This record gives sequence, structure tokens and C-alpha cells, in this order.
Amino acid sequence: MNIEHERYLQANNKEFNSIFVYPNNTIKTSKYSVFNFLPLNLFEQFQRLANAYFLILLFLQLIPQISSLTWYTTMTPLMVVLSITAVKDAIDDLKRHQSDDRVNNLPVLLLVNGKMKEDKWMNVQVGDIIKLENNQPVTADILLLSSSEPYSLTYIETADLDGETNLKVKQAISVTSDMEDHLELLSAFNGEVRCEAPNNKLDRFSGILTYKGKNYFLDHDKLLLRGCIIRNTDWCYGLVIYTGPDTKLMQNSGKSTFKRTQIDHLMNVLVLWIFLGLGIICFVLAVGHGIWQNKKGYHFQIFLPWEKYVSSSAVSAILIFWSYFIILNTMVPISLYVSVEIIRLGNSLYINWDRKMFYAPRNTPAQARTTTLNEELGQVKYVFSDKTGTLTQNIMIFNKCSINGKLYGDTYDKDGQRVTVSEKEKVDFSYNKLADPKFSFYDKTLVEAVKKGDHWVHLFFRSLSLCHTVMSEEKVEGMLVYQAQSPDEGALVTAARNFGFVFRSRTSETVILVEMGKTRVYQLLTILDFNNVRKRMSVIVRTPEDRIMLFCKGADTIICELLHPSCSSLCDVTMEHLDDYASEGLRTLMVAYRELDEAFFQDWSKRHNEACLSLENRESRLSSIYEEVEKDLMLLGVTAIEDKLQDGVPETIIILNKAKIRLWVLTGDKQETAVNIAYSCNLFEDEMDEVFIVEGRDDETIRKELRTARNKMKPESLLDSDPINIYLTTKPKLPFEIPEEVANGNYGLIINGYSLAYALEGNLELELLRTACMCKGVICCRMTPLQKAQVVELMKRYKKVVTLAIGDGANDVSMIKAAHIGVGISGQEGVQAMLNSDFAFSQFQYLQRLLLVHGRWSYNRMCKFLSYFFYKNFTFTLVHFWYAFFNGFSAQTVYETWFITCYNLVYTSLPVLGMSLFDQIVLKTTYWTMISHVIIWGSLGFYFCMSFLLYSDGLCLAFPDVFQFLGVVRNALNQPQMLLSIILSVVLCMLPVIGYQFLKPLFWPISVDKVFDRIQECRRLPRQSPVRTKLKHSSTRRSAYAFSHKHGFGALITSGQTMKSRMSKKNTLFSKR
Amino acid sequence: MEETPQHCLSRLPDNSALKQQELPAHRLYFTARRVLFVFFTTGIFCLCMGIILILSARSTQEIEINYTRICANCAKLRENASNFDKECTCSIPFYLSGKMMGNVYMYYKLYGFYQNLYRYVRSRSNRQLVGKDVKAVEDCAPFKMSENKTPIVPCGAIANSMFNDTIILSHNINSSVQIKVPMLKSGLTWWTDKYVKFQNPSSKNLADEFRGTTKPPNWPKPIYDLDKKDPRNNGFLNDDFIVWMRAAAFPTFKKLYGRLNRTHHFIEGLPAGNYSFNITYNFPVTRFQGEKSVVLSTLTWCGGNSLFLGLAYTVTGAITWLASFAMMAIHITLKNKQMSFFHQ
Repeated sequence: MNIEHERYLQANNKEFNSIFVYPNNTIKTSKYSVFNFLPLNLFEQFQRLANAYFLILLFLQLIPQISSLTWYTTMTPLMVVLSITAVKDAIDDLKRHQSDDRVNNLPVLLLVNGKMKEDKWMNVQVGDIIKLENNQPVTADILLLSSSEPYSLTYIETADLDGETNLKVKQAISVTSDMEDHLELLSAFNGEVRCEAPNNKLDRFSGILTYKGKNYFLDHDKLLLRGCIIRNTDWCYGLVIYTGPDTKLMQNSGKSTFKRTQIDHLMNVLVLWIFLGLGIICFVLAVGHGIWQNKKGYHFQIFLPWEKYVSSSAVSAILIFWSYFIILNTMVPISLYVSVEIIRLGNSLYINWDRKMFYAPRNTPAQARTTTLNEELGQVKYVFSDKTGTLTQNIMIFNKCSINGKLYGDTYDKDGQRVTVSEKEKVDFSYNKLADPKFSFYDKTLVEAVKKGDHWVHLFFRSLSLCHTVMSEEKVEGMLVYQAQSPDEGALVTAARNFGFVFRSRTSETVILVEMGKTRVYQLLTILDFNNVRKRMSVIVRTPEDRIMLFCKGADTIICELLHPSCSSLCDVTMEHLDDYASEGLRTLMVAYRELDEAFFQDWSKRHNEACLSLENRESRLSSIYEEVEKDLMLLGVTAIEDKLQDGVPETIIILNKAKIRLWVLTGDKQETAVNIAYSCNLFEDEMDEVFIVEGRDDETIRKELRTARNKMKPESLLDSDPINIYLTTKPKLPFEIPEEVANGNYGLIINGYSLAYALEGNLELELLRTACMCKGVICCRMTPLQKAQVVELMKRYKKVVTLAIGDGANDVSMIKAAHIGVGISGQEGVQAMLNSDFAFSQFQYLQRLLLVHGRWSYNRMCKFLSYFFYKNFTFTLVHFWYAFFNGFSAQTVYETWFITCYNLVYTSLPVLGMSLFDQIVLKTTYWTMISHVIIWGSLGFYFCMSFLLYSDGLCLAFPDVFQFLGVVRNALNQPQMLLSIILSVVLCMLPVIGYQFLKPLFWPISVDKVFDRIQECRRLPRQSPVRTKLKHSSTRRSAYAFSHKHGFGALITSGQTMKSRMSKKNTLFSKR
Repeated sequence: MEETPQHCLSRLPDNSALKQQELPAHRLYFTARRVLFVFFTTGIFCLCMGIILILSARSTQEIEINYTRICANCAKLRENASNFDKECTCSIPFYLSGKMMGNVYMYYKLYGFYQNLYRYVRSRSNRQLVGKDVKAVEDCAPFKMSENKTPIVPCGAIANSMFNDTIILSHNINSSVQIKVPMLKSGLTWWTDKYVKFQNPSSKNLADEFRGTTKPPNWPKPIYDLDKKDPRNNGFLNDDFIVWMRAAAFPTFKKLYGRLNRTHHFIEGLPAGNYSFNITYNFPVTRFQGEKSVVLSTLTWCGGNSLFLGLAYTVTGAITWLASFAMMAIHITLKNKQMSFFHQ
């Protein structure tokens, strides 16, 4: 099939659309089907070196001339290994099938022949028209045609796509929105859409709708993407543009690659080395055999004539090479892979079982979804974290405020000590019937002030309830639901509502408040909306008392400039409060007001209208008009909103930092929000030497910014003589590795998505990586899902370190898949991240236990296991090398076949497994649980029982050719020499180990041993609680909300057509039916 | 205080020690006291054991006479297979300086004879030897069938290469009187071999049972003629045969040939004096640079006069002791250093 350059489709025309063979809306993440499972799975398994080796070995054993062991010694373990892995793969794939089926079979309303018909998601085709209802997920990428809301607005939640939880608005073009829900119109709709081919750019779409001979331009504001959820919209209709794998969600999901751990890699390398060693040993033995045959074997033919096909000792040597290849097969550990899988499974179960990672409020235990990555957890160097929903709960809480220079929000006990939240009592809002029951506040003084009728406090809350662009919905009397552009704004309005200044509803010209129980109607004269430059918004209202008031809220730096000189002393006090808030990581906003006199306003209003209507320089003219009125403001106070962190996040980050694990925050959110969070969760600290910001918009600027940063952190790294620079100028071929560089202090880096796009392309990659890796914390903001993955890939490519990505939304999926380890937070937001993750749990703080306990234990266990495993196999096998010198290199085994068959499978597997499942890193000790005892003594006992059985009279007489060593154990163990030899062997094996364990900490004390000594000491001393020093901050950290706020609904609210008229029209429509 | 909300905990993992990885555990602390104690006691044990073993081994007596070169002319004769029917005997006089007390065992010892070659070891039929099916020769290549396609009994390379020298020990009391030292040909094997693993076909007349089979090519007489006098030592039950059939693990080995019958003159063992071995030399070894000896030896509880185990124990014990002293010294010096470091 050719690559699609342009998508062309016609609504309601299946025949036409079928020409292009677009995929249907089925999603397939599974790998196998019933028919291809066996061949495909076997093919994959035999790609494993050891498995392939054993297949070859099996064939070799079937050749009688070189067979030195019976075929079943290889066949049995191989079959066991293959079937265990196959069953595991089958179960994994079955789960994927089930989840695919569930999604593909979700119901959707499809417009067929003028009627709505319920169909399954997978049957949706390009060009179909579908109907979506409130709270439904969007089926495919669809072009919005019409909706139940005014102006055909449709509210959607895009948490699964970009992680932002605030609602977004999509609007249909007028020509289609007029069809509303008239099915006859919709089914007659035959618009043709030409648009770009499927791609992964979430914020871009361009196409042309041709309908009734006219062309309409389409952009991404008209496209509803799969993965979004319809909110606050009763219904909407859409034309399907992209389906299934073509949807932007799926295009963004990245390749699903099989994740291998470094241990996997190490094992493959080891196996290769073993092969090599094996080849050499076999060669040596074959040569030895050739010589022996020449000197002795030839003459020994009186007792043992050569086979007919052995014409010379050289031929014999060649055959012996292969015989030894078979005998020494236990060096290549086939059961290694199975044992490793079992250990990993066990360690995964420990994660699933861990009560310390169980989150009671949501009843979710931790979940190890991939069982193969445990030991990698102990090796993680870089953690890439999403912000919203991962570090934060994405709940904004009105926490504190300062009104007219007085602080509210902190509570103190009798001694004037500050009290922590948990000990406080909630304020009672029962005086206010319209209060939101979920809202909680702890400082009673504020409520008392409100009740007393403090003028400033009233004015403060009035301004909060007036100056915003929130929409309210009141489906049930008294149950207000606010629809806010950002959660911050929602939090402010909700706070005002609870304190008795309830924003009830609005039209384009009025705002209705219920102030302390009394309904008051304010006339909305103008909204001076937010934008990124102004960093503030204002409303001008006419109060019921016929006063014209301007209320303004915005970033403190901006508003301070606009204050009336009389406020300067108040401003100073407030600034101090602001610093306090900022140091606590709160998001602040300054609130001010101004009373306008009628004449001034009329004059201003006239000029404002002119500016609104002007075509040239409208923006700049408007903003200068705005500035005319937004001055001489009277300061009211400051609000402080807490972007609530998840429990234990700062502590976790500190501990990860101590463990030298670097955290990068990759977020789709705005820079200021991200930075604020970085401070509040201890990623950035006030004590940091500097935080660099990269926000250039072209290669040169970015390069300069990065280099300046590096110059500060490590000036010599810019010199030509720097070893890394020299290394890089040699233009090494990929894959190469950039070594670790150490900065001369504590630094942070903030980089913007736009800049990152440049930095990731071109040859800035290395520049970026070197700079970023020297910083203690890195924040990348405004990231697209794919960029997140690219950053992870970048790290993987040039730094050979283990990366972990943690996130909760669908926008994190690509990053989770790209990283060595993906962790999904199973939060409120969808399950996409969890489904694609390797580990899933509910709280970021569990990362600490996952990495530092489970990861470390798994890694240690795995390492011990590998050493133990190779040790036992080598000692077992290499005896044959020694023995070869005594048996004419004739491939005679020391052990009999049953011992060889049982050795790995039965006698020694459990002690090794037991150790690797139950061992814990305990200082200076060996960890023996009851299970270890049972396993070790059990295996030993079992060996003797098996031996007595295998050499018993009955068995040997029944199958004299198979069991040849009748009575050997009995007779051998009767000999005192035998018992004495066993004792001596045990002594010789154990003593050196004990001695080594004893001397090791004396000669080479590692940190653990030192810690052990310290612990004893520290136990006696009481723990000191860390004292947090308060520092003054630069203003960049304040008013994050104001900086981050986007252009609001202001224009919509005040635009021509009023809502009321539209509503009434709608009502009449309904009543007609 | 707000009440903690009641959550649904249906998926809360069990609080079992296994699942929470909190199994009660033994912790073996490698403290200096324990380690040194273990080392010292092990050292003492090994040293004592070693000394006892060495003393025991020294208390045995052994005499070995290599007769490959002494009987060089016989060896030469046997190098040519066509001389198989020519008898060759060889007498080896020797002087036993001290008497050998107690049970005396006579062994033949072969040097450079590879009973452990892969194909050699496998070339036998246990099914045949247990008397179940005397014609079962599948595993016996290259000695399965004779040229006229009758199965060989006992088949296989091991049986075919059976040691067939006869060794007679005589005591020369003086130059004229020579007494044959009485040797028992029973009790040379493990009980299990003689009574379980090797069985003749159940019949009064062995020769009948072996009808339709051939003797191994190297054998002068068929299996049922190995010991015509004693039916319990005939056929597969012949002690020499059973002893030979237990293939040796190394190319140098000795196998029990007979034990002194302690009667009359030899009731206390072998008295000192002049003896001679009268050997009928049949078994060829010089072709492949092998050698043969005959060994007379007494035994103690821990075997013959091999010093290996005793020496191994002694050396281990000595090294362990040295090591424990060294470790003690290291421990004391380094610990002091560390302590001073910590207290700084």
C-alpha cells in the first residue's frame, strides 16, 4: 500500500470511502492469534541463544556416532523450559486480547439510514456520523458537527491525551452546527473532507470541508480526539475522520517493544562467553583424544577395536569434539532462563503482596504487570515523572489568604505555635446553604471576620466571586457545579462561595451573586481577559448600588506596578506574606479593585468599543486601552492556592535524591506551574546555586543558553581539552556513551517544550544531555507525549543507565513504553497509563519502596543467584574436563546419567531458587529462614533418598539396562573412607567462605559495613527533625497561576448573542417535540 | 479529630510473613568469636583425624611386585596374538621381611589399562548378567555376536578383556619345602553383586542354558567352565568375573584376587620368609604400554595403606590452624585501627 499523503472522505458515503481502504476502528495490541501462536512463539523462543543451542544439541545427540548422553537428558529440560515460557506468553497475550475485545466492543450510537443504531466501536468506519453523549469517551478522531450546547460548544476532558484535567472547548463550524440533532439533515449531510494523513501531532489538524460547493477551513479546534471524554455536553454529533490505528491517540502510543533488562543482556553475553570457552575446552580435549588414540588407543584395540567409520585418530578426535560438546552442555545453563523467570515471578508477587504499597482509600494494591524487570528496579538512575496526577493530586485548594495585610489560614494553638493540618478542626459553613460540602478551611478567624461584616474581607470575596470566567450550572436547586477553565479559578470561586459570596449564574451582561444569603445582580460591563503578556484579568461591573467597580486579579509583580501610591505600606506587608506563601510552594494571586467614576468609564468604554472594532493592531490597541483603566488600583489582598501534592512526595524525592537517583519532571503543563511544584516537592531547593531556564526559539539561542549553563556548572567542560569534547570530536559511531560529569554545585534546569523540539532535533542533543545531566533536577514543560518519549530515548541512547518513567495519563504512555521501566499511577484519570506500564500503584511515594527495597532486593538476589548458578554448573561440568585426562579423552562422564538428569532439575534447583527468593540484604549476616532450612536440608535428604531409590534392587532388576548401578550407594556409604571424604569436602568448601566473609569487612569495608556500625551508635541518639530554613524568593516563583492561566472564556461570555435567548430557543425546540 | 474513613479493603494483601517477606530468620553473624571458634575446632578435628588416619595406614603392610618386566619373555610372547595357546609361566621369588598379621589380601594391579573408556564402559549387558536373557547383547558392541552370528556370552568389551593370569603364592619354608599358600576365592565381591546383580540362569546344568551362544573371543573357555568345582563360583557368579566386571574409574587400578585362608601355618597371617609367585602369564599389556603387578596387603578400618586421606586431613587441619591464628591477628590489629578511626 502506498503511504497516505492526504485523507479524502465523504460523510455518509461508505462506497466512496471504501476506495481508500481505511482501517476500521479495531484496536489490536495483542501479538498472537490461535493459529500463529505456536510457530510464532517457538520462533521467538528459539531466538534466545540458549534455546537455540539446545535445539542444536538435541539434533547432535540423535547422531549415534557422537552421542555421549542419552537424548532425554536434553529433551526433558528443553521441553519444560519451552512450555513454561509458552504458557506465560499465552496468558499475557490473552489478557491483551481481553482488553482489546472490551474496548472494541464498547457500544456507540451510529447514524445509519436516518436512524441512530447502537453498534460496536470496532464497526465504526471513516465517514460515519456518530452520536456521543455526556461522559462518554470519544470513539475515534471525529470532526465535531453539532452539539447540544450553545454555539455548538462541546466540553471535553483530555486527561488521557495530555494529562491536563481542565475542560477544553471545541466548537463546530456554523454550517454543520445548524443541523443540530436533526437526523434527516445529518444523514443527508454529504460534506467532503480533505485533510492531512494520520499523524501523531495532537495539537495540529488542518483540512478543508467542502459542503454545498463551499469550502470551510478545519483546524484542531473542531476535532474531537479518541481518548477524550465528553463533559457537560448532553450530546454531540461528529464525522469520523481517523479510526483505530490512525487515531492520534494510537499514533502517539509509540512502538511496543519487548523490554529487556541489563541482566538479560548480561546473561546473553555470559552465554556467548561460555560458548567460546566450551569450544576451546572441546578443542583441547579433542586434540588430547587424537594424541591419546595415536599413542595408546591404537594399541588398545586388542581389547577395544575402533568403530569401522573411525579410520584414523583424527576422525576419532573430530567425533570426540562433538561428544564433549554434548557432555559439557550443562555449562550452558538452559534452566537458567526458567529459573530467572521463576525468581522474577516470585519477586513480582512480593510487590503485589506488599501491604506497604497498598493504597487503602482506593483499595488498590501495587501491581507488577511485567514480571521480567524486577532487578532492573535496583539499578534505576533516572526517574522521569509526569506532574499532574503523579506528583500532585491535581486538586487545587484555597489554602490561605492575606486580606488588607492580615493573614488568614494558619491556625495556632494557645502557645502561638503553628498547628499542622491533621490536628485542626474544620470551619463550620452551615450558615451558608449554598456552601460546597467538600470544601474545608481551618482558620476560624476568617469566618468570624465574614460574619462580623468586615468591609475588606467582604470586598475581597466579592471580587473573587465576580472577577472570573467560570460558568455555573445548577441542575438541582442549590447544587451548583462550576465549570472553570483552570482548577485554580474554580478553587477561588468555590472559596468565595463557601464564605458566603456565591456566584450563582451569569448571562453575558449580568452576574448573579448570593451575598450572605441575599441575591444581588451585578451588571457585567466589560471583561478584560487574561493573556500571557498581561498576566491579569479584570472585570468592570455596575453594582446594585449603581457604583462602577473594577476588580482585578493577577500576578503580584504586575499588579504591584499598578497600585495606587497610597497602598505602598500595605503592599510591603502583603509582599512579605507573598514570600511566605511562595516558600510553602503555594500558588498566589493578587487581588485589587478600583472604583471608577461614571464619566470616566463612559469615555473609556467608548474608546474600548472602538478598539474592539478596529481591524489593525487590535490586540495592542486593546491592551493599551486596558492599561488606561487598570491603574491606581487599591490592593485588597492575596490568595494562596495549594496545588495539592500527593502524600509523601517531597520525602520520597529527598530520599531518591540521596540514593543518587535523578528526577526529571516531564509535563505537558505550563512552565510556572511545573516550577512551583518542583519547589514544593523538593526537586528544586531554595539553596540551589542556580536554576537555568532554556526557552529559546531557535538553535543558536538554545545552544547559547545551554552553554552558558554548562559554563557555570563546569567551566572546563567547554574547553577543547575536556576529555569528553575530545572524545566527541572523534565522531564516535553509535552506540557510544557519554560519561558522567559532575557539576560544581546544585543546579536545576527548566526547559520549554518548544525549545526542546529544537534541542532534540539537530545536533543539540548532546549539548542538552550533557547540560541536563549535570543538574540535580530537570523540568521539561509543555511536552507532547511523543517528546516525553524522545527525552527518555535520548537518555537511553547516550547514557547507558536505567531509566524509569512514571505517569498516570494517556499522555505518559509513550514515555512509559520508552523507558526501561514504566510505572503507571492508577489514579482517577483513565487506565491507559496503567495498562501500558510495567508496574502500577496508586501513589508516587511507593516508588521509594519499589526502587529501594524491592528493586534492591531483586537485584541482589538476581546477582547472587547468577553467581550461585554458574558456580554450581561449572563445578558440576568442569569435573569432566579433569576426568578426561584419566580416561583417554573418551567422553566418559564421571557421573551416571540419572545424576546428570536430576542434578539441575531436582537436586540443586531448590536451594538456588530458595536463596534467590528469600534472601534479604541483612548487614553482615546470612539470612536463613525456615524455608531455607527446609529447602536445603530437604534437597540434601532428597538426594540421598533418590540415590537409594535409583540404585535399589527392585528398580535395577526391573530395568537392568537403564539403572546400572545396583547397590552402589549402600556399599559406598558403608565405607568409612567415603564418609570421611564427604566430611573433608564439606570442611574444605565451607571454611574458605566463612573466612572470606569474616575478613571481607575488615579489609574492604563497604559502606554497608560502616552503616552497620553507625546504626548501633545512632539507635541510642534521638532523631532530630529537620529544620527548614525560610528564605526569600525571587518573584518568579509567585503567582504561578497568573502566569499559567490561558485566555479564558471572556470573549465567549460577552460575545453578541446572549445565552438566554439561545437557551429559550432551545427550550422552544424541546417543547415542540 | 476526624474519624478515619472506612475504606473497602477487599484487595488488601494478606498479612502473612511469607507475603510480607518477614519470615522469621536465622541470622548467622560472622562475629570474630564464632568464626575463630569454628576455625579452631575444625582445625583440631582435622588434625586429630589426619593423625589417626596416618597411623592406621602406617599400621598396614603392603608388598607390591611388578612382574611385567620380570616376566619379559612371557610378555613378548603375548604381544603376538597367534601364540594364544602357548602356555607361559613365570616364577617370582621374594622375601617377606616382616610377617603380615591378620587378613591378607592379594590383588592384581594394572597400570595404563583403560577400563574407563566411554565405549568400553558401555559395552556390557546387565540384562544378560542378571541371568534373565542370556541372548540380550544389544549394548555389547563391538562384541555382540561371534562370526557365525551367535550371541557372545558374556558379551561386550569388558567381559572379553577379563584378566586371566593365574597367580599362585607359595611359601618356601626352606629350599626344598614349598607350601602353596591357601587362598580363598570367595567374598571378593560386594554382597549385592554376588547375590543380586549377577545371577546365573536358573538351571541345574549351566551348559544347557548357554547353548546357542559363543564364548568371548579372548576367552580360552566358556563362562560355564570358569570354576567347574564350585557351582557357586561358576558362570556369572564367578568372583573373578564379577570383580572384573566392576569397571575401574582410573587407568591404574587394583582388583582383589584372593584372600588368605587363615588355616594351619597361616593362622595368624603370612609369616616372614621366602615366598614366590607362580604366574601363568596370559594377559597381554605391553602392547599398549600397560603394566601388571601383584599386591599383598593387610587392611584396617579405613582401608589399605594409602596415606592420601590422612595427609589431606592433616594438611587441612594445619592450614586451618594457621589461618585462624592469622585471622585473629588481623582481626585484632584492624579492629583497633577502626575503633580509633571511629572515635576520632
